[in-house]
Amino acid sequence: MLATWNYKERDTIVQRLDPRARLIFVFCATIATVLLWDFRLVLIPAALALAQLLLARLTWRELRRFVIFVGIFSVLLTLLTLLTGRGGAGVYTTEHMIWQGRVLGLAVTLSAERLAFAATQLLRLFTMAALAVVLPFTIHPAWYGVTFRRLGLPDNLAFALELAVRFVPSLSRDFVTTLDAQRARGYELERAGGILKAIRNIAPLIVPVTIGSILKGEDVIDAMNLHAFGTGPRTWSQELRYRPADWALIVLGVGLLAGVIVLRFQGYGGLWVPEWLLAMSG
Amino acid sequence: MASQARRPVEPQNRFLRPLVPILIVLVAGIVFLFIGNVISASQSADSTPLDAGRMIPYLVVGAVVVYGLALLAGDRDLWRISTREVVYMAIGAALYGVLSWATNIIQLPSVSLVSLRPAIVIPIFFGVVFGPVVGFFTGFVGNVLGDALTGWGVSPTWDIGNGLIGLIAGLAVVFPRTRRSLNITAISVIVILAIISALLLLYPETENVLFGEGTVGAYWWIPLLAAALVAVAWVLLRDREELALTQMWGALAIIGGIGFAAIADIWWNGYSLLTALLGEFVPATSSNLINALILLPILLAAWRSAQAQTGR
Repeated sequence: MLATWNYKERDTIVQRLDPRARLIFVFCATIATVLLWDFRLVLIPAALALAQLLLARLTWRELRRFVIFVGIFSVLLTLLTLLTGRGGAGVYTTEHMIWQGRVLGLAVTLSAERLAFAATQLLRLFTMAALAVVLPFTIHPAWYGVTFRRLGLPDNLAFALELAVRFVPSLSRDFVTTLDAQRARGYELERAGGILKAIRNIAPLIVPVTIGSILKGEDVIDAMNLHAFGTGPRTWSQELRYRPADWALIVLGVGLLAGVIVLRFQGYGGLWVPEWLLAMSG
Repeated sequence: MASQARRPVEPQNRFLRPLVPILIVLVAGIVFLFIGNVISASQSADSTPLDAGRMIPYLVVGAVVVYGLALLAGDRDLWRISTREVVYMAIGAALYGVLSWATNIIQLPSVSLVSLRPAIVIPIFFGVVFGPVVGFFTGFVGNVLGDALTGWGVSPTWDIGNGLIGLIAGLAVVFPRTRRSLNITAISVIVILAIISALLLLYPETENVLFGEGTVGAYWWIPLLAAALVAVAWVLLRDREELALTQMWGALAIIGGIGFAAIADIWWNGYSLLTALLGEFVPATSSNLINALILLPILLAAWRSAQAQTGR
């Protein structure tokens, strides 16, 4: 059960793109989704997210956990918002009552606006999650550092990111070793007891891994200092170059965001309540 | 020496230096407020002027926040990123990612309800020991890495919230870990809570925006209860200043970080205030508080003895 990156080399259109262009696109599309409350307009970023998911050719096995977790989480919180009342302030001002009653002793009001809001919210949540979930599966772990450097982050932050990504497999190996060692000494993770005891019970796993990795880090610091880290600008062994397809993707993302901002300023893109839902309130 | 003597008297104190521009901006803001009111009143009769009495407190609170930030920003050492910080940032983030992934994967039958994330102690620990920059990076990037490992996508509000947990915990390094510092912090927290309670009693008719109906007057005892808890903790831990202070900053960090994420989700995901409060803030804060406050002292004690052994 070693923690390794979910990344897999696949010869797909998505993976041939420059990671910088893909990050810019996902960022723009996410902000565009946040700004939109019209169900019909949210369908545009949703379609783009779905297209990215399909073009990346991820398998169901890889996506199962994501679909289950995000599904449960977003449906639960959307229901909670629906039952407890209005969502984001100012999205709608008037309400057309459809049903009023009590659920489990709590006063619940269903209106056309609240239902439309819940449906849009669900679509937005799925769109934003689907936009981002593709990235770890399709960007090579060794490319994060140079990607962020070439996006304009300073050397030391980009290098910290690169190091962090590279530490993950070795730290997870340490964790598994510690777990096995403690088990060999009679440690039981599942030992019964109260909540407090159960949390204390995790300490024999967390403490050795944490302290050990910090002490090992001293060697890395020495090595980096000997290589004169931080004294001048650095070079990276990988090289990134934008190609026409990358520019097209950036234009698509920035165009989408700009279009949405213009629409919002024109007064469009607010909550859309379909006629048939309004008709139900009578 | 001569040139130094001729220089006008400058407030060299780092507490005074940021105060002057902030006070100027504050006064200018209040003046502009009144000018704006006069202009808007003269232009049309039916435009409602801004209620100055209502806006000035916001300006003052804003000025206090900016002053605090300026004080912290003026402390160059606090924000320096040298080789040490780069490596500890990377280790912290990778650790947080791996441990939150691991505790998600291993099924912990007896704990599954509360211990959403025992790993929450990692950004707090890295913040408290190595400072706010390392803490922020650990929380932010660690959360991204953990979500990426499990394949859950990215949730920017929670990434920043986790980062803030590390950042706020890291502010603990600014304050000396002495008895005096503990007394000052404990007293100020108790006084602030008492003031909130007094305000609730003085203005019980204020509408309760949290629960939709009713007024806030009935909740006057909640801040007092919190103040009593702080006082009890203060008395119990008064001989262990370092422990008490780190625990306090850890608790503040969790409340601040998760509070940010929950409030940001109101705007980002369109949750209602009650959803953010009941669905996110309360469960996440309580489980994380229990986890962090139990594991943080253990981790800190282990770190101190490791430091003593290796002589670093």
